[in-house]
Amino acid sequence: MTGSIFIIAAFMIIPLLVGVVSARKSKDTSEDFFVQGRAMGSIAVFFTVAATWWSAFAFLGSNATFYTSGPVYLTALAWNLLFGFMYYWVGKRVWFLGKRFNYLTPSDLMGDFYNSEALRLLVVVITLVFTVPYLQIQLTGGAYLIEVASGGVIPFWLAALLFYFIIIVYVWIGGIRAIAWTDVIYGALLFFGMLFAGYYISHQLGGPAALFSQLHQNSPEHLTMPGPNGNMGYSMWFSLFVIVAIGAFMGPQIWLRMYSVKSGRLFNLMPFLLGLAAFGYFGSVLTGYSGVLLEPGLENADQILPVMLMNYAPYMIASLIMAAGAAAAMSTANSQIHAVSTVVTMDIYQRYVNREASQARIVTIGRLSLVGFSLAAYILALTVPGLLVTIGIAALAGTAQLIVPTIGAITWRRAHPMAAFWGLIAGILCVLFLTYGPTVSNPLGLHAGIWGLLLNGGLFVSLSLALKRKDHNVVERFVQARQEYDAEYHPERLEGEARPVGEAATSR
Amino acid sequence: MRTTLPTKKLAIYGGMLLGFIMLESPIVMVANKVEPMIMGAPFLLVWNLGWWAFITALFLVAYLTNWGSGSTSTAQRSR
Repeated sequence: MTGSIFIIAAFMIIPLLVGVVSARKSKDTSEDFFVQGRAMGSIAVFFTVAATWWSAFAFLGSNATFYTSGPVYLTALAWNLLFGFMYYWVGKRVWFLGKRFNYLTPSDLMGDFYNSEALRLLVVVITLVFTVPYLQIQLTGGAYLIEVASGGVIPFWLAALLFYFIIIVYVWIGGIRAIAWTDVIYGALLFFGMLFAGYYISHQLGGPAALFSQLHQNSPEHLTMPGPNGNMGYSMWFSLFVIVAIGAFMGPQIWLRMYSVKSGRLFNLMPFLLGLAAFGYFGSVLTGYSGVLLEPGLENADQILPVMLMNYAPYMIASLIMAAGAAAAMSTANSQIHAVSTVVTMDIYQRYVNREASQARIVTIGRLSLVGFSLAAYILALTVPGLLVTIGIAALAGTAQLIVPTIGAITWRRAHPMAAFWGLIAGILCVLFLTYGPTVSNPLGLHAGIWGLLLNGGLFVSLSLALKRKDHNVVERFVQARQEYDAEYHPERLEGEARPVGEAATSR
Repeated sequence: MRTTLPTKKLAIYGGMLLGFIMLESPIVMVANKVEPMIMGAPFLLVWNLGWWAFITALFLVAYLTNWGSGSTSTAQRSR
């Protein structure tokens, strides 16, 4: 047990050291603190995107879902690919516009293109309200691991407190640079931890082939949909694919990781790298299915991985793998705390409270926001228990709604602010009603987020076609920026068209 | 006047679409079975890993061919 606590301590101290080192390179400007001066290099971008995208939801939730519900989580292979594709197709355009017009937050882009203060505020509210529950599950996941790894010596409330204390300290001093650097360590730990855990635990049953064979004999319903409980069929398969990929992609933490990138070329490679990393889920398949045979009837399925590690692996290996799990949680939590503090600072404080705030003042407010949101998530983690995946999907369904006005802003000159506003309102209300409304069952068994997206998208397109924008200067500014994007990255699209000349587009 | 999509780009995007259809359309239910087990793994798992590998390989091809655009502007090369 002493060894486990030593590993936990090391896991907490290393990010602090990384934060201190990265802080030496920091400048006291908002652009440096929030998006690393838009100069993040390729290795840091890949690891910070991958580690932020892969959370406790992936590390613990995937094992728990294979354990309780059968193969539905295999759809994660496809949602990773979709996420990667969106990072290229949407992300590169968002990055280009962000660089062109100095955006730092999602609402910067939406508010600017749609030229609407109401929409800007709505995006802020959606971003904050739906990110905090997702932040809560990171904390819960990380704290579970620390509690189990320490054999209960560190109770859940203290583990969660320690977890956030460490994050706050290194993000406070190093901003997004510290996060990206620590994410390189976390990302590697996470990927190999998932694979190694599955490989190691499945060998308790004779290896992967023997595991599948025994599962086929003892619990064949775990190997096909709709799983042992009969409720995880195709509808959930498809819903998870859409909601998880889009919801996570639209989280403010990923937006910052689009704005931070130094070179547009990196976006071309990211789908391949992110797709390749999805192989890590094979480890979760092995862990979750081994649990069905080795530890049936566990009350809290989210604890299946730590429980099996403690029961079947030498404690040093178990602790190391659990450190990888805590890495998954921490690497997402640090990015989310940082992202919501960016939104509060830039979209609320600087825009509505103190427009003349100095750079140093903005960074200070950003740091104070870190503490505020961490506290909110901590209280939620202690008071609102629940399965990681269940809470996670509900939160992701909310942020997923932002994809509709985002695609409108980067591709469609007719996209109308009223359409974006009412589409979002309808989508969010639909999600809330179908998720929390009494005696309501989702049509066709599809998740509330899918119906929200359909309503949101339908309203957005029909209202945009029916209404006409009057702010032609804003629309033309974006049309010109898009042409510049095509000229730079897809010149074949403009063959036969006049190329944009000079730096005609004005910044905000 | 915009030109038509290059064949390479069509092939890349078409291949990705095919892969996603195989993974996420109701077609996946055809593969929703344990037998035949391949190399000891259930068929549904092998189906998913196979199409995942296909799309991931296409992403690599897309990167190597500048996503089928065929040409890269001077500005992009210099960045």
